[in-house]
Amino acid sequence: MIYYKKDTDNIVTLTLDMTGRDTNVLNHEIVEAFIPVIRHLQEERDKKRLRGIIITSAKKSFLAGGDLEYLYKNYSPEEIFGFAETLQQFFRDLENPGVPVVAAINGTALGTGFELALACHYRVVIDDASVMLGHPEVRLGLMPSSGGVIRLLWLLGLEKAFQVLTSGKRLRPQEALQAGIIDELAKDEADMLEKARQFLLSTQEGRRPWDIKGETIPFGTVKNPVIASKARMLGANLIKQSYHNFPAPHAILNTLVEGSKVDFDTACRIESRYFTQLIMRPETRNMIKAFWFDYNAILSGANRPKGFGKFRPKKVGIIGAGTMGSGIAFECLRRGLEVVIKDVSKAVADKGKEYVTQQLDSYENTGRTLPLSKNQYLERVKTTDTSEDFENCDLVIEAVFENKMVKTKVLQEAENHMDRYSIFGTNTVSIPITELGAAASRPENFIGLHFFSPVEQCPLVEIVKGKQTSDETVARAFDFVTAIKKIPILVKDNWGFYASRVKNTYILEGIQMLQEGYPAALIENMGIQSGMPKGPLAMADDLSLDLVLRYEDLAAQHYGTKYIQHPAVDVLKIMIEEEKRRGAFKMQGFYQYEAQQEPYLWEGLETLFKNTKVDFNTDELKERLLFAQVLEAVWCVQEGIVKSIPEANLGSIHGWGFPAFKGGVIQYINDYNLERFLLKCKAYESDHGPRFKVPKMLTTMATEQSVFV
Amino acid sequence: MDAYIYDAIRTPRGKGKRSGSLYEVRPIDLLSRILSAMQTRNNLDTSQVNDVIIGCVTPTADQGANIGKAALMYAGWSDEVPGMQINRFCASGLDAINLGAMKIRSGWEEVIVAGGVESMSRVPMESDGGALIYDSEIHTKVGYIPQGIAADLIATKEGYTREQLDAYALQSQQRAAHAWDNLYFKDSIIRIYDRNGLLILDQDEYLRPNTSLETLATLPSAFQKLGDSGFDQMAMTKYPTVEKMQHLHTAGNSSGIVDGASLVLLANEKKGKALGLKARAKIVAASTVSSEPTIMLQGQIPAAKKALKMAGMTTKDIDLWEMNEAFAAPVLKFQQALDIDNDCLNVNGGAIAMGHPLGATGAMLLGTLLDELERRDLSTGLVTLCVGGGMGVATIIERV
Repeated sequence: MIYYKKDTDNIVTLTLDMTGRDTNVLNHEIVEAFIPVIRHLQEERDKKRLRGIIITSAKKSFLAGGDLEYLYKNYSPEEIFGFAETLQQFFRDLENPGVPVVAAINGTALGTGFELALACHYRVVIDDASVMLGHPEVRLGLMPSSGGVIRLLWLLGLEKAFQVLTSGKRLRPQEALQAGIIDELAKDEADMLEKARQFLLSTQEGRRPWDIKGETIPFGTVKNPVIASKARMLGANLIKQSYHNFPAPHAILNTLVEGSKVDFDTACRIESRYFTQLIMRPETRNMIKAFWFDYNAILSGANRPKGFGKFRPKKVGIIGAGTMGSGIAFECLRRGLEVVIKDVSKAVADKGKEYVTQQLDSYENTGRTLPLSKNQYLERVKTTDTSEDFENCDLVIEAVFENKMVKTKVLQEAENHMDRYSIFGTNTVSIPITELGAAASRPENFIGLHFFSPVEQCPLVEIVKGKQTSDETVARAFDFVTAIKKIPILVKDNWGFYASRVKNTYILEGIQMLQEGYPAALIENMGIQSGMPKGPLAMADDLSLDLVLRYEDLAAQHYGTKYIQHPAVDVLKIMIEEEKRRGAFKMQGFYQYEAQQEPYLWEGLETLFKNTKVDFNTDELKERLLFAQVLEAVWCVQEGIVKSIPEANLGSIHGWGFPAFKGGVIQYINDYNLERFLLKCKAYESDHGPRFKVPKMLTTMATEQSVFV
Repeated sequence: MDAYIYDAIRTPRGKGKRSGSLYEVRPIDLLSRILSAMQTRNNLDTSQVNDVIIGCVTPTADQGANIGKAALMYAGWSDEVPGMQINRFCASGLDAINLGAMKIRSGWEEVIVAGGVESMSRVPMESDGGALIYDSEIHTKVGYIPQGIAADLIATKEGYTREQLDAYALQSQQRAAHAWDNLYFKDSIIRIYDRNGLLILDQDEYLRPNTSLETLATLPSAFQKLGDSGFDQMAMTKYPTVEKMQHLHTAGNSSGIVDGASLVLLANEKKGKALGLKARAKIVAASTVSSEPTIMLQGQIPAAKKALKMAGMTTKDIDLWEMNEAFAAPVLKFQQALDIDNDCLNVNGGAIAMGHPLGATGAMLLGTLLDELERRDLSTGLVTLCVGGGMGVATIIERV
């Protein structure tokens, strides 16, 4: 498991190679394997037969992070704290043999894996763009547990350590060097080992800065007024970013602040205590569920139709060089595909290429690295005004104006030049796929590929199967989406699909509150403070009030006599028909929009909807805004609109910004407790009407005492 | 047994920065200087004083190690006099007096000297690094925002305009200038000399008597940047009906950062007579309260109401009011809440014009109020301050 080799300079190389695994993982097994090794090294040191140590890996990656399954299932604070302390002691032993230790990092080292590297005196990394380094724990609602926060504090100072830890970025070697979390880059493995050796030959200092008397934390501790007031601002800024909703960045900041005032070992213990508290928080578990378990469940392809070989798309055609089309083009390009952008003229299509150029520039300007050079990427983009250039495309996606005639026309033109294996994806938001597909000459190859805006930031794609879409096409669409590193969720061809339909209930609930007499500013703040990315009224304006209403019309058509009109529809009609305020695109909606000014809530709202609610329960208002979405999502699950709970959860977080700390729209119920949720729905139903009536699925689950997984 | 006020004195206020006249003077010198003045003015046998209570908000560095007792020793008061330092933020000086009055009314003690000191130039505000402000877990959890943001929050909620706040500030400047020009304060100001007897400062130096609405209007918002860094959102978490924070307070309509010290001599009637002193006023009521801590600067309202109730009085029974001008908005809010005539409130200006030496201000205001009641030959006065953490302190006095 750990190979031991000593050279003539008394330098020991320890090569990690865990048996029966593709990667080395930092678990109990490896910690135990290290015990005799460390003891032996200490003996060697005492006999003055040890100059230094190199730790490297025989696997493709260096060392992977901790055991999430173990943490997720563990509800004992004693055990979690003990686990963190054990690992911490291991790292202390590792960095304290009295001789310098080098981490020779040959591949990816993330999370706890990177903590081991931080517990070495020096870090040399092979400069390969596929190597990823750093601390992404915060993305899962976590933080380093074993001294990683405090070591970064001592290496970088409070402010920089905070940035590295709370950004959750996985850094490429060059970025990591710039961030100051590694010391040197190497060309290849031989160069790496040589540089590690050279470092060991250059120094005999076996202590870390925190073990040397008189050494201090760079830029000072919070006892220094400048750092203290910076730390204070960082705290305030966390509230600005996410109110009190995400505990992990707070725990990281608090560990840094408190840890800067005490000695290293005490600081590490404070870290373990914050870590333990974090693991016990529901937000953390919800995030681990969504971003680890649900994510892996989806990518494992549980819902991908079986029996079709893996589709490896190389070239993608995109129709429409607008925001959506350009965004899709860039994402395909970034993930290694070739792109053909078509629009009504080459000049218009060139706009797409301009956009791609801007994006590449912004990568360069912000120090983010990509595997290829800017020119190499640009050579892979072709712009055109004719579908003839789609001839070698494995798939073509249209992102043109939301109009059935236009969409049909571009589809038919493209099909003439596509072979019978290529698939055609439409990015419609509201036209049924079956209806559009009827115009296709190969409807079995026609499918809905619903990207979200902005494409670069939103990792979700809804795959919508029409009546005639073949299973093979679904499988290929799935493979395409994962090839560009997005999350595919399979959605039934139904009114509003999934994301738009559920998001609309949030908007409608907010609008209804206006009608009930709550001040508009309060409604918006409740939305944002509940964890949604924007207030419901702002979202309505962005979407356009017509589209919000249109989804309700679609629902009315779909459910027929069973449809119960949402009370907010009255408000929408007043706004659209009487006030002619139809949304951001008209510069007037619930907000007033003026050039070079932040939009502000339209004063007329107060006259139209008197603010009669002076006393209010903020917790309940926030909850109502989320309950509305949760219930609609359960209807979607019950109606088979969305096929699995992981898809419903991640779809909600990435599709319309449902709070991640709740773990997604269905996990919300697990988190809330089903029985309590049902009781609360009953109360809301009697106070606010039948839209809070629970779908039968939930009552059945309650009787069966089952939970969503 | 009532507590009577026999004397109330204060130093002039120096600008609280390096260029301020009192920057070269240690805070212990400021305090010792007025202790000596109090002893001389009243021909006081200091051994008869039962306790000295000194308010100080940043009791660290030059102001650390119980500056109350330290100054007594340095001033050469009797070894038998104990001294202590207390901190109730901006009301420390007034609370020192109230505590003194309570000691006397309890009958356990007879003569108390109370007041405060703050050298904001020497010991900057918040430099004691408390958890409430600098511990990232505590301040975010309890929603402790900078006071300027709290003042802006009041202005936003109440819909005050920048013009209203500036107009109030201008009035403070004009009233303070008028009071100084007409020597209203002359009997209570204790000049500060150096160790050779050379004069360092004999009057408040923060005033801008020639300012105008136009000049005030040009000043930039003082708390916009702080607000943008996230404190606005902290405020809006508690006050979610606010659409957008209006940052209307500036250096011109907020209190000045200054250095100074103040003292009041209290005793019961019998002891006062025995010491040959003449009582000037009686402490009728004293209150301490606390309210919602994020908006913070509204505690003066319940504090004043509580004191009035205690005294069996209403707003119209009070002849003159002093409400500390920490910022313009809390004063306007206070005036509005208690329906106070503008001609009776802060009639000689306040901290916006003359400055707010944190721990010393409370006792300064009480002295200013008493002086003016005597000058106008009026009877009752109420002094109050808004306090960090939502607290409020008020005192009602009546001339005898």
